[in-house]
Amino acid sequence: MKLKQGSFLWYLYLDKLYCLLSVRNVKALLEYFHLLDVHRNNTLNDVLFYHFLHHVTSWNRTQIMIVFNMLDWNAMGEIGFDQFYMLVCILLAQQNHLEEQFIFRHSRPVFELLDLDGALRIGAENFHMYNFLFNIKKEDLRELYHDFDITGDRRLNYKEFKLFTIFTMDKYQERQKAEKRKGKRICSKSHINV
Amino acid sequence: MPRSSVGEDSDMEGSSVGSKSRPWYNQKARGDSDGGYKDSFKQEDLDKPSLLELELNRAGSLGSHLEDGDSKESKTDTEMSSSESSLNISKHTPHRAYWMEQQNRLPLPLMELMENEALEILTKALRSYRSGIGRDHFLTKQLQRYIEGLRRRRNKRLRLLMH
Repeated sequence: MKLKQGSFLWYLYLDKLYCLLSVRNVKALLEYFHLLDVHRNNTLNDVLFYHFLHHVTSWNRTQIMIVFNMLDWNAMGEIGFDQFYMLVCILLAQQNHLEEQFIFRHSRPVFELLDLDGALRIGAENFHMYNFLFNIKKEDLRELYHDFDITGDRRLNYKEFKLFTIFTMDKYQERQKAEKRKGKRICSKSHINV
Repeated sequence: MPRSSVGEDSDMEGSSVGSKSRPWYNQKARGDSDGGYKDSFKQEDLDKPSLLELELNRAGSLGSHLEDGDSKESKTDTEMSSSESSLNISKHTPHRAYWMEQQNRLPLPLMELMENEALEILTKALRSYRSGIGRDHFLTKQLQRYIEGLRRRRNKRLRLLMH
């Protein structure tokens, strides 16, 4: 997924550590939300929501409606600002390749989003359905259920999910360090060549 | 009629933005995990003093500079020039309360960007409303009125900027 270049969301970005928007950004986002809230309900219905996401992302109709159903946790047929803010943070996390960090920092709300039926457990099918949101690769999913399903019920409770996010975050940080080291080696080699 | 079925035909409708034939999103990865560096509009822009603030400071410093005056000039000339200058300043420096109000608002370029984008999105949504629930439905009419109001506001702002 890529955000449309030059769109309003494209200009926002998350705080790298906490994966949240700054207060200024939230204020701007709230104004934007109110601009789209044409019926003055402090909500967006499914049509407005669809056209908004269709305009700013590369998601197709099916993906957009999956996201809508996920966020419409009260089954009201409308999305409030809280859910809208959550969605924007997820979009920006994906845009800026901060998925692992985002899931780590906000494991509880992410778990609750994925736990569609409120069973306090997430099955593999939930992850498959929302794979496009968090970019969790298939091999990582297999590893997830193999290594972290401690209770053995083929579903993850919150603690197991939290362990997974910690593990993924560690792997992400190691990757970052490896990339930095590689970058330094390349710099020093090019410096020597000069 | 369930609203979720509204907009079934919207994919078929032509749109300058939604058309799949035109690649409207940037395929290139947009930078590192720092969030990238925006070409023309950065978070720092929001934190920088706004143009209005800079104007106010400039007008203030200009006024104080003139108040200091040149000691070699005659007192009358100084008084005349400073009073003329302060007249000019007062003509061009809006009321302070106006400036203070502006500080609490979002920057105008940002508002313009948001309103233009909202207009595009809502215009497409209006087509879905019309095809889904009909032109005469009160929600369709409400949306239409809203879009017209937004357009009027935008045009008014554009006219002011041109003048």
